[in-house]
Amino acid sequence: MHKKTIHLTLNGEAREWSVYPNELLLNVLREQEYLTGTKYGCGIGECGACTLHLDGAPTLSCLTLAIACDGADILTIEGLARDGKLDATQQAFLEHSAFQCGFCTSDMIMMTRALLNENAQPSEAQVRDYLRGNLCRCTGYASIVRAALDAAALEKQRAEPSAAS
Amino acid sequence: MNYQILGNNYQRKDGIGKVTGSETYTSDVILPRMWHARVLRSPYAHARIISIDQTAAKALGAVVLTYADVPHLKYNERIVSIPPHLFRDRTVLADKARHVGEAVAAVAAPTEQLAEKALRALKIEWEILPHYTDPADAQSENAEPIHDAVLLNGEMKPIENNVAVARTVNVGNVDEGFEHADFIFEREYLTSRIYHAQMETKSCVCDPASDGSITVYPTTQSIHNTRQLLGEIFNIPLHKVNVKRVAIGGTFGSSIQMNSIIPICVALALKAKHPVKLVSTREEDMYDHVRYQTKLKLKIGVTRDGKITAGHIQALADVGGHNIQAYALLSVLAGWSASLYKFPHLRFEGKAVYTNKTPSCAMQGFGNPQATFAMESLTDEIAHELELDPIEFKLKNYVGLGGTFWGQGPSVQSIIRSDGVPQLLHDGAQKIGWRARPKAGTQTGRYRHGIGMARGFHTSGAGAPKPGEVIDYSGAFIKINEDGTVDVVHAMMDHGGGTLEAIAKIVAEELGVPIENVGISPADTLTTVYDVVTHATRGVYAGGGAAHKAALKVKQQIFEYASRVLELQADSLVIEPDYELRQGVIYCPNFPERRITLGALAKQLQINSWGTMAAVESLRQVNCPPAFVTYFIDLTVDTETGHVTTNRAVIGSDCGTVVNPAMAIGQLEGGLSKGVGYALVEDNQWDAQTGQLTSKGFWIDGKTPAISEAPFNENIITHFSDTYEPSGPFGAKGIGEAATNPCAAAYANALYNALGIRFTELPITAEKILRALNAEENREARVEMREMEAMAVMQAAE
Amino acid sequence: MLPTNTHILFHEFDYHAPTTLYEATELLAQYGDSARPIAGGTDLLVQMKMERRQPAHVISLARVNALQGIALNGDLTIGATTSIRDLHQYLTSKLQPPFASLQSLGEACNGFSTIQIMRMATLGGNLCNASPASDSAPPLLTFDARVTLKSKTFERVMALEHFFIAPGKTALQADELLTHIRIPRPPHQSASAFIKIARVAADISQVCAAVRLTRDGNLIHDARIALGSVAPTPVRAAAAERELIGQTFSAALAEKIGKRAAQEIQPISDIRATRAYRQHIAAVIVRDALLRAWERTQ
Repeated sequence: MHKKTIHLTLNGEAREWSVYPNELLLNVLREQEYLTGTKYGCGIGECGACTLHLDGAPTLSCLTLAIACDGADILTIEGLARDGKLDATQQAFLEHSAFQCGFCTSDMIMMTRALLNENAQPSEAQVRDYLRGNLCRCTGYASIVRAALDAAALEKQRAEPSAAS
Repeated sequence: MNYQILGNNYQRKDGIGKVTGSETYTSDVILPRMWHARVLRSPYAHARIISIDQTAAKALGAVVLTYADVPHLKYNERIVSIPPHLFRDRTVLADKARHVGEAVAAVAAPTEQLAEKALRALKIEWEILPHYTDPADAQSENAEPIHDAVLLNGEMKPIENNVAVARTVNVGNVDEGFEHADFIFEREYLTSRIYHAQMETKSCVCDPASDGSITVYPTTQSIHNTRQLLGEIFNIPLHKVNVKRVAIGGTFGSSIQMNSIIPICVALALKAKHPVKLVSTREEDMYDHVRYQTKLKLKIGVTRDGKITAGHIQALADVGGHNIQAYALLSVLAGWSASLYKFPHLRFEGKAVYTNKTPSCAMQGFGNPQATFAMESLTDEIAHELELDPIEFKLKNYVGLGGTFWGQGPSVQSIIRSDGVPQLLHDGAQKIGWRARPKAGTQTGRYRHGIGMARGFHTSGAGAPKPGEVIDYSGAFIKINEDGTVDVVHAMMDHGGGTLEAIAKIVAEELGVPIENVGISPADTLTTVYDVVTHATRGVYAGGGAAHKAALKVKQQIFEYASRVLELQADSLVIEPDYELRQGVIYCPNFPERRITLGALAKQLQINSWGTMAAVESLRQVNCPPAFVTYFIDLTVDTETGHVTTNRAVIGSDCGTVVNPAMAIGQLEGGLSKGVGYALVEDNQWDAQTGQLTSKGFWIDGKTPAISEAPFNENIITHFSDTYEPSGPFGAKGIGEAATNPCAAAYANALYNALGIRFTELPITAEKILRALNAEENREARVEMREMEAMAVMQAAE
Repeated sequence: MLPTNTHILFHEFDYHAPTTLYEATELLAQYGDSARPIAGGTDLLVQMKMERRQPAHVISLARVNALQGIALNGDLTIGATTSIRDLHQYLTSKLQPPFASLQSLGEACNGFSTIQIMRMATLGGNLCNASPASDSAPPLLTFDARVTLKSKTFERVMALEHFFIAPGKTALQADELLTHIRIPRPPHQSASAFIKIARVAADISQVCAAVRLTRDGNLIHDARIALGSVAPTPVRAAAAERELIGQTFSAALAEKIGKRAAQEIQPISDIRATRAYRQHIAAVIVRDALLRAWERTQ
């Protein structure tokens, strides 16, 4: 088993990693990049805690080999806020207190972000369908759905500065 | 009552960290020179270790620990019970495995990969012993002892027939009570062993220093209890044991105790002389903790007009391989079952039995979801049989305002001084359309609809006028900074429900400062005073109570110093937030122009070298008021698949003054989600042959309901009573555990309403529903006969 | 319980990332049984974490372009590493009759446990994993799908029905890759439906069923029924199919055929469901799928 050097983009910055074939993307992010916002939950793709965006799509980093990410564009929760401004999804989760322990919050926000990228104005049914693989044991999901729906509205509002103001 | 701050929603103080991924949980702690640990866990349910060959593991450069290398002091990981009731039956590493997954050896190495390699290089020789997954088998005459004896109050107490503990409670004369009954009802209820499924697996980081002190970052609900137990086990004076509060990724009771991985991590760090991190894998975690499975046999006598005359409760709890708090469990099982009802005569007989399974521990409600499922199912059934409205029956026999109540067990007497039950039942019934519910058992067709209700509660803490069997008090330290902001230093853990937010609000409300000016300090055991643990729905009521007490002291100081500066009587002053100045402002209403901001006052104190306004207080609440919750569930059953759809859930809460409205609603929504899992889905099954989980600890088969199983938002209706708890901070009491307790019974009762079938075993899976429907169909021809038999039984009781 | 560690991937292996089909098959020829291809990884890495597979060589198909994409050229040809999500989007947005009749495959794709898994997992991977509970297999069986298997030197095509041998075992030789799944042009007047029953929505099926009906007026011209999680492999219910053909469709017939299909299967009891429950549910969902598919033929 040999290490291989790969190049990728992480939260908008170029990175060079030297990784063994059996290293998981999740663990490289957490232990080498100190980006601990992406979590280990079950290790087998059942809980969604390790969700990040790989080339723009929601991906389970506990089931992704780091070595396979050569040339990839990776976005984690830490890269979501830009220029010190929270993303609309983060802002909505904050305003709705759409978290309790917060351990699933990163993955819920990353999923909501991915959903809004695909569908700017999702219905409640679409939100629920999209988040179906992300476990939250505290909130019962209702506040998360409220936040996700409101994030869409907030984003729309940000995109169209109102004429009145 | 009008409050400046309580009852409003603000952005949570821990919010930015949580939405940006920068909040630090135990598993996120990374220290220089840190090593990684792995634990060798028994593949056998009951087996003695003959030998462990460490040679190959050590050759890899790993530090290795076995039973021989760790302190042999027997401990109980939950030191909430007082010493005479603390059954100590485990050591840091075991010399005998009492359940699959028991820790018997541990390694640490520079990387997790190397640690795993070393772990697999350990060679263990086992002597396999007979194992028991069923409490009945464990109690059989010739059963192999799981524990020969346990340490109790300094002495070894022999264990017989694998019975960990038994308790009896008698009120009045139960035989006499049953003599006065017109009808007697008897049912047996069985609940499931479910996994907490908290999102973060139990973890620990320990940083040893060269002077022999340690700093520990654990998954825990109590930093102080963790510290004391570590000090005792490793014989380190407490001032050299610092346990830090780090964010916790869900607990639901699974970390009331000092988790057993914590001393393992500490032992490794002490030996390796490196910081060591131990993160449980999910499969290890699933073998670590589980909700108590209980069998509850209820016998209730009633008069023809619906008055309860007597109750007899027999409880059997499955302890698993170690006794964490079975003594306390039996006590509360009695209380949770009976204390809302007026039982003139009551007998409770409880027994908790060791088995070779994962140790059971508290899980959101600590015996209450179990007891409430049984009690609220049977009272529903009795009401139905007596042709009374269940609400009417419950209120008729309800203890009610002013009544003595012993939710935490007979030794913890409390008086109900705030009572939202009648209002919640009334409002909930209206919102669900209770009067228009179907008549049970009258529907035909594939989809059948039902409405059910259940009432429950949890005590806010375990306080009482005299010391009880469990420790219950909190402490808080509050200081005014030189710019008028406030530091709250409090050892309490916030599981995410907003306990610390509530504490900040209570302090801000009392001190009259904007909420933004109150900071929750990072906490550790060196800098905080003792708080027992965040459990028992005590956070706001007891932890908030202590903070309120300290805030009152500080407020007194503020007025004393302000009176010197303003030259006005201290007693004439008030303080309230000024949102333009972003300060608390102190003034006298008679002379409103003479005012000073808290910041200016604090600065003046410093300039004058007068000192700091600060106070530290401990508080034991002398009450443990019940936080009530009512559930009304409207559901549809697909009688061809057995699948249940929740149409609407109406959840009412009496938590006294609502401190954090959004978060209180969040507690109820979360309580529903977990309650649905308990009612319909979750079941950790053990393979009797191997003693292993049939899921093997993988989340593929340890399913919990997720977002797809939850009703749409408009169909979750939460409401609150207008109550004020006189003993709570600003009238507040608890909510957390109460939020889930009655859920399973409400589902069972709604299923009865839809199908005319009583379910007495959790979870009520689709498959069980279908089986019951088929059995019912087969019985249909004999329905009349059955009813006649039932009549005969009831008449016999008369 | 031991030894597993889902926190890391403990097992060590060499990783290969070929960019052409030839390179990929050459690597397979070289390493044979000690190699395992990886596409989405959502099955293989889980199995490696659970210590059920321990390949010394892992050959990534992610960069082999020839295995990706969907083409409509008489048949519908789906590259083996097409993600379930891409396939779902294709099926639900682009298809005209008669391919619009592949509704059941779209439903099966959407039944995959989660959005993340749908995006990562591939159709070929799902088939090669040969799970009895595969959601994609039953619809494909009802479409008479064929699979193309390719080694360095040889290519063969076989009916999907013959591809599954046992749980986790397919007809693939150690040096072969599944390259394409081919769905023949569906008959006119046909429609399909897929129904899955599971403990919770994001879960492996307890039973799933797919049907495809071809109609001729009020008569059933042709019928296909396939089920998952009821036998060691996904299976057709051939006797039930035969009893449908040539009949006038009715709710009573659907009811009868559902029961007939349930008699044909040999489910086991496991952690997810008992044999009795599976048998009962099979009858219900075959009936419901027949009703739904028939309605769609109108």
